[in-house]
Amino acid sequence: MRSARLQLLLRDLAAGAAFAAMAISGQVPVWAVVVFVIALVLALAGRRPLSDGRLSAVILFGAVVLVYAAVLVEQLDLVVAACVTASLLTAQRLLSRPTGRTTDQVQLVSLLMVAGGAVLSADLLFALCLVVYAALGVLAQGLSVVAEVPGGPLPPIGRVLRPLGLGVALALVGSLVLFLLFPRLSWNVAARRAGASLGGATTGFADGLRLGGAGLLKSNPRVVFRARIDPDPGTDGLDAYWVGRRFDTFDGVQWSSAGRRGPPSRQVLLGAPGRKLVRQEIDLLPAYGSRTLVALDTPVRFADAESQQTTFSVRAEIYSSGAREVRLVGPSEHVTYRAFSTAGQDRIPPEDAAPERTRRLQLPKGLDPRIPVLAETLAEGAVGDRAVARQIERALQSGYAYTLELPGRVKDPLADFLFDRRAGHCEDFATALAVLLRTRQIPARVVVGFHGGERAAGEYLVRAGDAHAWVEAEVDGYVLRLDATPPQHRSAAGIGIAGWLLARWEALQIRWLDRVVEYSLLDQSQLVQRIRGRSGQTAGTARAEKRRDEGAAVALAALGAAFLVALLLGRRGASNDPVELGRRLSRLLRRGGRLGPGGWLDGARVGEAELAPVREGIARYREARFGRRPLLPGEGRRLVRQADQALRGFVALPLRDLGAQRSGRDHAS
Amino acid sequence: MSARRERFLRAWRRFWKPPRRLRTTPAGRTYLVLTVGVGLGALNTGNNLLYLVLGLQLSLVVVSGILSERCVRRIQVRRLLPASPRARAPFHLAWGLQLPRGQAFALSVREVHPVMGSAVGQLAWLPAGEEVVVRAVATAPRRGPMQLSAVRVSTRFPFGLFEKSRDLELPGELLVLPGRVPPPPEPRSPTGGLGLEQRSLRGQDGGGDLAQLRELRDGEDARRIHWRKSAQLGTLLRVERDAQPQPRIVLQLDDRAPPEALDGTCEQLAARAELLLARGAEVGLESTGGVSVKPGAGAFHSQAILRALARAGHPGKTG
Repeated sequence: MRSARLQLLLRDLAAGAAFAAMAISGQVPVWAVVVFVIALVLALAGRRPLSDGRLSAVILFGAVVLVYAAVLVEQLDLVVAACVTASLLTAQRLLSRPTGRTTDQVQLVSLLMVAGGAVLSADLLFALCLVVYAALGVLAQGLSVVAEVPGGPLPPIGRVLRPLGLGVALALVGSLVLFLLFPRLSWNVAARRAGASLGGATTGFADGLRLGGAGLLKSNPRVVFRARIDPDPGTDGLDAYWVGRRFDTFDGVQWSSAGRRGPPSRQVLLGAPGRKLVRQEIDLLPAYGSRTLVALDTPVRFADAESQQTTFSVRAEIYSSGAREVRLVGPSEHVTYRAFSTAGQDRIPPEDAAPERTRRLQLPKGLDPRIPVLAETLAEGAVGDRAVARQIERALQSGYAYTLELPGRVKDPLADFLFDRRAGHCEDFATALAVLLRTRQIPARVVVGFHGGERAAGEYLVRAGDAHAWVEAEVDGYVLRLDATPPQHRSAAGIGIAGWLLARWEALQIRWLDRVVEYSLLDQSQLVQRIRGRSGQTAGTARAEKRRDEGAAVALAALGAAFLVALLLGRRGASNDPVELGRRLSRLLRRGGRLGPGGWLDGARVGEAELAPVREGIARYREARFGRRPLLPGEGRRLVRQADQALRGFVALPLRDLGAQRSGRDHAS
Repeated sequence: MSARRERFLRAWRRFWKPPRRLRTTPAGRTYLVLTVGVGLGALNTGNNLLYLVLGLQLSLVVVSGILSERCVRRIQVRRLLPASPRARAPFHLAWGLQLPRGQAFALSVREVHPVMGSAVGQLAWLPAGEEVVVRAVATAPRRGPMQLSAVRVSTRFPFGLFEKSRDLELPGELLVLPGRVPPPPEPRSPTGGLGLEQRSLRGQDGGGDLAQLRELRDGEDARRIHWRKSAQLGTLLRVERDAQPQPRIVLQLDDRAPPEALDGTCEQLAARAELLLARGAEVGLESTGGVSVKPGAGAFHSQAILRALARAGHPGKTG
């Protein structure tokens, strides 16, 4: 009874995991999620009201018809419809009278849901759901198969779960091995684009930057892009600015930019490349949600953009939108590209012509008259544009507080920030600095992008919370980057243990995307080459290879240790085997030349009083093997040890006897 | 055929015989169809997660093979045949199963035999070290010896997708006795058709009427004492009775008849023999094929006659 309850519980939970594998894609309609969750909760509570199979089948059929009608009117994707059908079928089976057949059906339809999840989602959570489904499903199915047999008493649950646990471990390892080795010879005729999973895109660049509102983005920990930088900075936390978009026109509330759109191309040059460039391979993840390309300050070239589909990549064209912004021509959820920047160079000449310079000096109409006065006050004592800019930057950093809690839209957000609230976030600080500089006739513009980067697996992860705004000013004929935001608030807001966990999760997610979701024929061939030891290694990759090899060695050692433990446990188990006992006794007696005629234990010459332990061993062997008196745990080993000790005190019998005995067969074997 | 050639042929056949049989269950067939579907989907789309699911499905098939092999690999079987199975009547076939180590689940046992193979014994769990007896109800349609060659042990463990079977060679013979039919009517002539021979014997320890009382001698059976008369006369008296007439009947069988007719004759003779034996007659059997059972009485003798009738018309050993 207990076994049946446990089996149903495991089965229902496995079905729940299979449904979750689909639902994490965020593409399953809410009503289907609600229906399934209700069915699952009822099933877990032991309520299975659909005992009338015909009525529930009719209802199910009606629901499926409605689902496919939604497909016909293009309200639902066909794959999603198939997944919803599988979930409805599972729900109906979960609530039906539990039998062995129902369990089989639940498991098989759950498998369909898992396959549906594989099509809909590329999230790491899918792996978790898959593992949970595999483990619970295997246990439930095994218990069901044993419980179905009518003969004899059911075994204790622990006895069944032990081999099934071994089965789960073998299945997971096996699936990994098969996944790695199965040739990736795909036809790619029906590839489906993976979605951004739960939550969708979390950031993006709008055409304008509007002041006001709350800074929710700052506390969003989702990774929006990752970058591999060459030369590698080597630091855990990157103190760098990633430029996205520049704004030079401010109307008092909103920043905008204007510029001539360039032709679509494979590469865009934004300036003359210097001698020392930083190369970046950037991967914009689905959570990024914008067509604007980012690069380390100051980017000079973008090239080789590729839109990453589920199983292949397509070359993507890019263009310059003016105002030194580079965009993708078409939309894409997952893009990789290369960027080159002149990071580390302080003195960058301005690239724009006179009209653009004039625009960067324009002040909004109706500017609060207190602002020029404030600028003059803050710049007091400074000589030269550079000194003035730095002095105002420092004054804002120290004189104003950072906060994400803003009241919403106000009529003059800049004046509100500077004179009333005296607190704001990076956009307020950047706007204030740019306008204050313009009142001092220093050309300035606001730049939006990201600040920071967290190292993981040799690359840098940038989160939505790292979104930032700062200022570029033209002083003494060069572009000067200024950031009025207090330094501790430039990157993502700290979010404690949850944030730390999330960061680890994101790092895992990156590895998952790299090594599983985007695993390809090329990776397979590299794997084979690595196994053959023919991979060409550069000095830089040698360390990483060595570390990986060490990891593999540790894993192999762990596997070997597990195998040894299993072997020892197996030998321990064999010590209760009467056949093994007979074999060992025969070996001992053969060594001493005391086996019976024909090499059998029967008639063994062990009549001496000192050889009583040997006689006891033979008697117990016969009882255990033929007399239904099994050996106790460890008894076989004890008997062999005692027989060995007893026989050691005796000289072996003459050689002719030995020869005669060796020619015979061993009874025990 | 020489013994060496026979050995060679046996080894040759064993070499080509698959060590295990694998049968796909209905759930297993659906599972395989799903696996092929996921595989096609993976090839079609190149979706790596589908490859992952496919890997899991294929590895579950492998795991199923490993765990089911653990169940049947070391199993030992002992056949426990019924003493006197009758044709067309259900009887129990039994097998003693034993595992020296490990454990086995969801076992089913049957004979590798076209008729007896339909009787399946089932066992949920077989622990190590102890013999568990599994029974199945079987019915044999006809009398006669059945040559049993092997016992098939199968398991659906762990997932119920496949049924793996192992045939354990276990030669044996199940002798099915003639089926029970109503006894034929008594023959008019004592010797007509069935060959009757009667003789009456007189003995002092028979089961007939009271003949006399006499004193008990030393060494005589105390159970013969007539206690009431002994008490009246004050000395131990024993009873002497006339011997009851014991008919001696030898049943004649023509075992050259066609099989169906011979089966019917054997069943009638068996019924007649059982009836006569129950009445206390001594019954024997002679057949044209040379089968001969000397007249005798009692349950053991009844079995001898039934066994002889079961073998009638079948070449091989008799008795």
